[in-house]
Amino acid sequence: STTWHPPPEVTRIMVNHRVEKAKRECVVWAIALLSSGTVVSADSFGRVQFWDWQQGTLAESHTVSSSAALSLAVSEKEDSIVVGTSTGATYQLQLLPVKLGGLEKRWVRTKPFQYHSHDVRAVAHSPSALISGGTTLVIRPLMEKVQKKGYDAVLRKFTFPHRRLVSCARKARLLLFQFSQHLELWRLGSTEETGKDGEVLPLCRMPEHLVQLKSKGPEHIYCSCVSPCGTWLGYSTASRFHLYRVRCDGDGVSLRKVPKVPKLLPPAYQLQFSADSDSLFVASARGSVHVLQLLEPGGCKLLHIACGCSEAVYLLAPSADGHWLAAVSGDWAIHVYNLKCFKHHCVVPTYNCAVSALAIHPSTNNLVIAYSDQQLVEFSIPEKQYTGWSRALQSRGLHRAWLERDSPITHITFNPKNPAHILLHDTYLLCVLDKSLPLPDDSTLLMNQSTLKQLPETARKRQLHAFKICKKFQPLLFMDLLDENCLVVVERPIMDFKTQLPMPVQQKKFGT
Amino acid sequence: KMGRRSAPRACGGSALRRVFPLRYLLCASGDFVKVYSVSTEETLRLMGGHADLVTGIQLNPHNHMQLYSSSLDGTIKLWDFMDGIPIKTFTVGSKLLALYAPASAEDSVFVVIPKKGERDTFQLVSVKLAKGAGQDLEAKELSVVLDGVGASMKHIAFGREGEYVVSVKDVNLQVYFFKRKLLNRFSLSTLKTKGGDNNFSCVVCHPTEDCIATGHADGKIRLWRNFHHRKEYTYSTLHWHHDIVMDLAFSVEGTRLLSGGVESVLVQWHNESSCQKDFLPRLGSPIEYISMSSDGALCCTLHTDNRITIINSNLRFSRSIQGLIKSRDVKTGLVVDPRTKALVLNGEPGHLQFYSLQSDQQLFSLDIVQRQYIHQAGLKQSDLVKVAFSARGTWLATVEESEEVTDPELQLKLWFYNEETQSFKLNTRINSPHDNHITDMCFRDMNELEEDSLILVTTGRDCVFKVWVMVEDTDPEGNVSWSCDFVGSYHNYQATNCCFSEDGSLLAVSFEETVTVWDSLTWDLKCTFCHPPGNIRNICFGRQTCSKYLIGATDYGFLCCWNLLTCALEWSAHLNVVVLQPDPLSEHIAAVSWLSKESSLFVFKPNEPRPIYIQRNLCKEKILLAAFVPRDEPEIISSEKYYWLRRSQLFFLTDTQELMTLSTKSLEERLTPSSKQLAVEESLPVTPFSLLLGKHRRQQAQEDTELGKPVVGVITVNVQLLHTPAHVLPSASFLCTIFINSLLISKENKSAEEIADEVEVESEKAEDDSDEEDVTEMEQEDTSHTELLGEMTCKLSKSQEKELRKIRKTDYSWISAF
Repeated sequence: STTWHPPPEVTRIMVNHRVEKAKRECVVWAIALLSSGTVVSADSFGRVQFWDWQQGTLAESHTVSSSAALSLAVSEKEDSIVVGTSTGATYQLQLLPVKLGGLEKRWVRTKPFQYHSHDVRAVAHSPSALISGGTTLVIRPLMEKVQKKGYDAVLRKFTFPHRRLVSCARKARLLLFQFSQHLELWRLGSTEETGKDGEVLPLCRMPEHLVQLKSKGPEHIYCSCVSPCGTWLGYSTASRFHLYRVRCDGDGVSLRKVPKVPKLLPPAYQLQFSADSDSLFVASARGSVHVLQLLEPGGCKLLHIACGCSEAVYLLAPSADGHWLAAVSGDWAIHVYNLKCFKHHCVVPTYNCAVSALAIHPSTNNLVIAYSDQQLVEFSIPEKQYTGWSRALQSRGLHRAWLERDSPITHITFNPKNPAHILLHDTYLLCVLDKSLPLPDDSTLLMNQSTLKQLPETARKRQLHAFKICKKFQPLLFMDLLDENCLVVVERPIMDFKTQLPMPVQQKKFGT
Repeated sequence: KMGRRSAPRACGGSALRRVFPLRYLLCASGDFVKVYSVSTEETLRLMGGHADLVTGIQLNPHNHMQLYSSSLDGTIKLWDFMDGIPIKTFTVGSKLLALYAPASAEDSVFVVIPKKGERDTFQLVSVKLAKGAGQDLEAKELSVVLDGVGASMKHIAFGREGEYVVSVKDVNLQVYFFKRKLLNRFSLSTLKTKGGDNNFSCVVCHPTEDCIATGHADGKIRLWRNFHHRKEYTYSTLHWHHDIVMDLAFSVEGTRLLSGGVESVLVQWHNESSCQKDFLPRLGSPIEYISMSSDGALCCTLHTDNRITIINSNLRFSRSIQGLIKSRDVKTGLVVDPRTKALVLNGEPGHLQFYSLQSDQQLFSLDIVQRQYIHQAGLKQSDLVKVAFSARGTWLATVEESEEVTDPELQLKLWFYNEETQSFKLNTRINSPHDNHITDMCFRDMNELEEDSLILVTTGRDCVFKVWVMVEDTDPEGNVSWSCDFVGSYHNYQATNCCFSEDGSLLAVSFEETVTVWDSLTWDLKCTFCHPPGNIRNICFGRQTCSKYLIGATDYGFLCCWNLLTCALEWSAHLNVVVLQPDPLSEHIAAVSWLSKESSLFVFKPNEPRPIYIQRNLCKEKILLAAFVPRDEPEIISSEKYYWLRRSQLFFLTDTQELMTLSTKSLEERLTPSSKQLAVEESLPVTPFSLLLGKHRRQQAQEDTELGKPVVGVITVNVQLLHTPAHVLPSASFLCTIFINSLLISKENKSAEEIADEVEVESEKAEDDSDEEDVTEMEQEDTSHTELLGEMTCKLSKSQEKELRKIRKTDYSWISAF
């Protein structure tokens, strides 16, 4: 992180000036500037140092760790600093009075936290919590700042990003996996047999890794998408947007880059192909949605730029009939555009929470929205209002167990066979929301599938409620319906990538 | 009268924190407060007066030459420790468990007392020390500061400038701010997750900042700040210790924090950072207390084995003060080294300590097990269990066994005393001498006989006794080694005790209920004795005129005396004997019984069934061991009651490892040890003058011994004169005559007269100035002296009388200023 300060003259601070015996080079990994004019640095010797900005002299030095201090964040009041280190530990430094009630204050290292196994590359300091990110993201509430015990007072740990990393070409039965530096395209296997619940069927065709596409340069892939027909593939990094034409010749697959892709200055936050694979919607960081028309045999042109959002668009949902497009911007406003006449249609009433997923129902054109606080709403686009079921759900309130979940809904899809079914998933559960069934109240069991199985038919009917939840697949990265009979689920066992991580910094543990 | 000798007691719940006024180290030790010299490690003074355990000592913050001490007897005493004189005694009434004297409290101190009406609940109260004339004052003005505090000294600390007081108990910490009358309570989780244990063990406060350091049962140290906020308080953690943090101490400036625990490592933390720390390892035994000197130049640690280590400010070991080392368990018994007359018993783990009773110092520590001792709970380690000396101290036999109960790993070692190196050298090591625990071991105790006849007997729970003899090695050097010569058993009973008769001809071995007597030449079983029911607990032969008797004690509560000539029971007495100890220099045998929570002593001769000395209720603790230590010279004992103590002195060791002795002298006499004068003299700087003095002293001593008369303390007067600060002395012209006279080689009679004269002068002075302790002591010595001299001292010449009067007229008002 870098912090800028207006004075034009440059003060050079030699951080490793005082380390004589160390042959290693000292690297300053993070700095912060306090309003008092103090520069705070975190360096590879594990020190957090406070420097006078004008003089460049060292005011205080705290060795917080024996390994490198990598990241640094200051609270808004500037009375607390959080430091992330390469051992995975984070430390809090607090500005505390030397004498109670006295004016003299000093920075004191107070609480250590060990929630990571590897580098803590980024930290943030909210008024009531310390947030640290490395291989996982941890929100550690500061108990002294939390007013009451509740959702805010609980430690949160997130292993997977709250974004969709897998896209699916339903018709072509392809899956596109997005990694940080490359993409993988797989063809799903298939079976011709049928079986009972819980049975593993033999495959007649094995899943096939078709192609691996490496991103050029050091930039991470930000978003990616494959078209429903499986012939187009696009991805975007922080600076560039790439579009490819996928050709299947026999067993082999070839990728051809689409030339003359319109230069999109701001990077794309989200890519989405239309259901008929005719056009591509690109959500930009400037708050607009670019509509590109895809041309055979391998070209494209910019059709329209839909404006209206004030902040970056980060989620898109086109309707199956190609009529509507919903876009969510950073200020959590949901704009709906009419694609037939390229007109702004309406704005869904803003809710004070981030949208985590949304989708438009293929038959009713109802927009189903999941918020990060686990609220669900259904908004009718043609009628520009919440549906009756949604109002009923709001007045009734969601089940407490549903609201207290940690992980937000990341994908919504629908059952073509039964329009009353909405399929939702987060990292830990898969839910079929049946609008035709009664809503559960807090006294009933939310996750009742296993108990239902043991009940006789008549009793089962009485116990049924709208939320049918399956927790079989964990952690669940992606779920989609390929067709009426086929559901694809992508599970990513944590051990799979933990074993691929480099060894954490060696630390001597007592007794080992 | 019972005399207790104990080095600084780390045990027995006596909470003590030592205070350093620069050159002195003060330490609460049992019912006494000891004053050590930091430079010479010697005990300068022993301040007695409390009737029970001293629980706390604190320097008077307003006068650093004074010391407050609190005791379980319910009194607070103010001492002048330079002279060892009690200035005032404040009677509080209830038991005092800890004492604090923060400088901010003008005329009060804080003590921990039990809460009335509730068991095991304690409160911190402030005691207003009444100002008044007289030595004994009542201190009844108590006000409760904190409730529910811990009973240990280490559980309460006073903050910077006495603004607040912190108390820790279990997992709770409470801070009381005196000015704001605010009480804040903080609790840690009681859950013991991941081996953590949040229970507090000790607390100290930063001297200049508002920071509290607490030690915890799992080895963590927490540094608390912002604790005036109930919610926004915060703490950081330092963790190095793997087990309980026993004590903490901040340096004078507060930049360094010292911590210690069972690891026997002193850890120094810099600037409250967990990354900067220094260690002083291998301190020998777990650290119990840490104390800093008031100038910060020294710190000292008190260890669980009864040892004080003085450490420099740069964390270098400086010296250690050690008397009797407290070992975990005295398995070896009390043995007297015939060579040095030192008491020999378990010392450091795996070591044998030689403790000099005369100097209250450890002579040396012999490493027997020769294995690194690891301080860790549950680890089975070898320890020394039995020790025996040959009659002249040339051979030492030791038995060590691992703590394994079922299959002990046994080793018998024989050590030969090497005159050149002045130490014991390992001669023979025998692995698994017995198949089970060795219960007893003894040498054939024959002073006159030659080395070849030396025999060692061991008895074991494997139902045999073994006889070990020396054999000459085949190698040309003619070394000797030990090997087994005879194995005896009796009806497959476990062998429990063994002893040789005084002339070495008979060996008695007890097998559970039976005592067997063997001929030590042919190893024939001569006869057996028993007194059913009950196993034999102790056996011993009578000595000198009583050689024909064999004494045995059963665990059924009987003391029996068998006649070896008639093979019949001579007499028996109903007595639960725990210890049976014969005096090697007389026919007396001491038996210590344990009945209804008190130990009693009986001394008897085997030929008389009536004991010659009975001391009931010797002490409340259980006496486990006893030993007769031969005196260098027979003591003149006037009382017939104590006649049996003429040639040997009897020592006891209780289950709390207190070493006690029976003394014929009064407490006051013992409190003025001769070594004290010596210490004062030795601390004098070497000047031509002191050399002259020393020369004179030696001459005088020689003369005294030649004349065979008791040494009179002439020199003491002189030394005292030199020792007294110049500004409190009368004018030199006044002292000159006395001083010169004392240096002159005087005629016998005259010198005596003059001495008496001086003493009278001094004692008069003493009436005015109670600070002069040496003088009072002089007076005592003098009384015995005058007795010897008879009437002579009463007659003074006229000129002397005149001189006396002149002295009386001298203005002593200058003394009152002090």
